[in-house]
Amino acid sequence: MRAEVGDRIVIKGHRIGEPDRDCEVLEVRGPNGGPPYVVRWEEDGHEALFFPGSDASVDHLRSTHEREGAS
Amino acid sequence: MRTIDAVHRSGVGLGPERTIREAASVMEQAGVGSLAIIDDERLVGIVTDRDLVRRGLARGLPADARVDSVMSSPVLTIDADVDHHEAFGLFRRNAVRRLAVVRGNQFVGMISIDDLLVYLACDLTDLARPITAEILFAQHDSPVPATA
Repeated sequence: MRAEVGDRIVIKGHRIGEPDRDCEVLEVRGPNGGPPYVVRWEEDGHEALFFPGSDASVDHLRSTHEREGAS
Repeated sequence: MRTIDAVHRSGVGLGPERTIREAASVMEQAGVGSLAIIDDERLVGIVTDRDLVRRGLARGLPADARVDSVMSSPVLTIDADVDHHEAFGLFRRNAVRRLAVVRGNQFVGMISIDDLLVYLACDLTDLARPITAEILFAQHDSPVPATA
């Protein structure tokens, strides 16, 4: 997985009816955009280290928009 | 299959100075039942939702107590790149439901008995498939030719 600051990470629900969860990447600790990531959970603002598994994917939407806005 | 490939769920970590209230909140937000406690990139412990109850609530610890006061340490680990069957032996010999998956000294994820059960069920399904097909769609072999 590769991510940048501002990306969103989406974690798929593991059970039927369980909602997807998402968090914002605040810091990339690994080399070349790799994990771990310091993330902030949307609902309560708590920060944690995140080590993505196969249930996680990166949404680059926000950082893409920011890059387009900067150019 | 490598152990890391059997890890379904993402791992989440906190620093040891964080509070048990924060730990509970992060578990809820991330949808996980355990957290790696990481101090200066070094795995120092694991805390589970059960630890929060048994070592925190049951003993009357305040919500702002440090999370390392309820964590389990040292941590039972498995290398990310060894065959996942090695985890079976670790679970068999130790009374734990989760193992920290590491590469070198770095925490990379958490594997649970549930993760392995999923793969075991898939393996059993694969093994049962030809037998099931044989029972349902039996093909009678032609007789062995007689030899002189």
